Amino acid sequence: MLRYALRRIPSGLLILAVASVVIFLLLRATGGDPAAVKAGSDASPDTIAAIRVALGLDLPLPVQYFRWLTGLFTGDLGYSLVTGAPLASLIGNGLQATFVLTFAASVLAVCMGLVLGIVIAVSSGAGRSVLDGLASMMLAVPTYVSGVLLILVLSVTFNVLPVGGYRPILQDPQIAMQYLAMPALCLALPAAGVLARFLATSMRQVMDEDFVRTGMAKGLSQGRLLMRHVLPNALPPVFTVLGIQIGQMLGGAIVVEAIFAWPGIGSVLANATLARDYYLIQNLLLIAVSVFIVIQIVTDLAHAALDSRVRLEQPSP
Amino acid sequence: MSRRAVPKANPAARSAQGAPMSSASAADSALRRGLRRPRTVIGLGIVAVCVLLGLLAPVLSAHSPLDQSFGALQSLSLAHPLGTDELGRDLLARVLYGIRVDVVVAVVAIPLGALVGCTLGMLSANNRWYGTLLQRSFDLMLAFTALIMGMLIAALIGSGTPAVILTVALVNVPLFGRITRSAVMTQLSRDYAVAAEVLGVSRSRLMLRHILPNSVDALIVQAALSFSMAVFIEGAMSFVGIGVRPPDPSLGATLKASINFLGQTPAYSIAPMVVVTLLVLGFTLISDGLNQALLKR
Repeated sequence: MLRYALRRIPSGLLILAVASVVIFLLLRATGGDPAAVKAGSDASPDTIAAIRVALGLDLPLPVQYFRWLTGLFTGDLGYSLVTGAPLASLIGNGLQATFVLTFAASVLAVCMGLVLGIVIAVSSGAGRSVLDGLASMMLAVPTYVSGVLLILVLSVTFNVLPVGGYRPILQDPQIAMQYLAMPALCLALPAAGVLARFLATSMRQVMDEDFVRTGMAKGLSQGRLLMRHVLPNALPPVFTVLGIQIGQMLGGAIVVEAIFAWPGIGSVLANATLARDYYLIQNLLLIAVSVFIVIQIVTDLAHAALDSRVRLEQPSP
Repeated sequence: MSRRAVPKANPAARSAQGAPMSSASAADSALRRGLRRPRTVIGLGIVAVCVLLGLLAPVLSAHSPLDQSFGALQSLSLAHPLGTDELGRDLLARVLYGIRVDVVVAVVAIPLGALVGCTLGMLSANNRWYGTLLQRSFDLMLAFTALIMGMLIAALIGSGTPAVILTVALVNVPLFGRITRSAVMTQLSRDYAVAAEVLGVSRSRLMLRHILPNSVDALIVQAALSFSMAVFIEGAMSFVGIGVRPPDPSLGATLKASINFLGQTPAYSIAPMVVVTLLVLGFTLISDGLNQALLKR
């Protein structure tokens, strides 16, 4: 297990390193002038030049890249070109809000996906088609459509939940949950659909195996057979899918946060993109990629822990 | 156990060079079977209706989507079947012309991405060094989820329809690349390919004339999925504000604006919602149906 981890992690770090270079170069190459953004629209060329020196933009590229990297490790992420606020706190607050949202959505997605997947796997005929269709709808409908629909039904028509907003969960859990419910549900639906379909397929494959037939012949109840034998064997490949889905929730969070005015990292990124706040964009993109890679590695490790065949596989050429 | 229908290399059939001909008939039959499945047909129908509505926009709606002269938030009427938005623009026109934007984006971006992706995929299947390099690059590109890639591109070239097109194209490159690579590698191990090589058929001819046609099934399934993704991505980017620039019509932007008026005019949000859902659903059904036909072998 340790050996597998040691094999998996370096490639992840390599991808991260390459991603950081790509992000850095891309934003430097075409984007525009950070100094001009900071100076504002009325500034004179002299002011812009002075700011350029102050920001260290006249230094050779590798030096700038290195300064950025060391800043990342020391926690100094620089300052916003637009507001001048320290990026670290801006990003920190955003990450907190997004983390709460994504965590809640993941839990919801797993619960809904598991239940729906099991039900689809054991049902047949018309019921199965209906449920399968339901899962397809869940995964196909975009978050910005389901979000608006949820608001239309739950806020406007029935006035059950607030339209948008945020309360830190530690401050006031009850009210925070009210604000969290719809965004988390909205974010969870596509992932739940994918998980349900995947689990159903996986379970169907396991149910065809000989050992299940043996269990039935021996008189095991369907419930016990399902829970103690079929499910544990059907779950491992679902983990990889789960990892990918949680990673995609990061992208989905951008939209969901826009719909429900959730002040997470997605909103921060969206505003930064529109305002051309280059350093903010740079750091956020790197964080997004690293989170995605970490999730991938963690789910791979979980998969390997559950399925020893993965561990013993030779690395692909 | 049913094996995949391998194109039978008929020893009697020779191409101009005398190389054994592999038929593309295996690919055709899977495709034809896929097209007969109810899902695919329903999906195709839904998509066709929506696209037709978009293409016929000037005929179906007498107004321009940019004309703001009709009075804000009017309710449904004969002159304005879907009412108007808060700036007084006819909503039917906004929605219909919004479909056009999606069609344009998909039709431009997906072939572009597919072309680049398939070329890179073929390269990577042929050459070991390129193979590893391209595989890792694909992994990297897939690590950027679509919307985040969209943000990066919008930060670089500015928001707007070109940014959306570029994002959709780039998202498709690794998707098509991976599929092409694995399909080509599978085909390369088959008898007809080995025989062709032995007979001296050049690599490029082998790739283009024989292997690619046999790999087409999975690519078409991916293409259907890509169309649904294109609608998705355009909507998301426009929703967040980095896509189609106002005042140009866009389904995503219309949805975003409608949130503020949900209580007053539900039609404002329901129309784009229905259209986007139908489009995405339609393409997903198509790809599902085709996929099922492929797996049935």
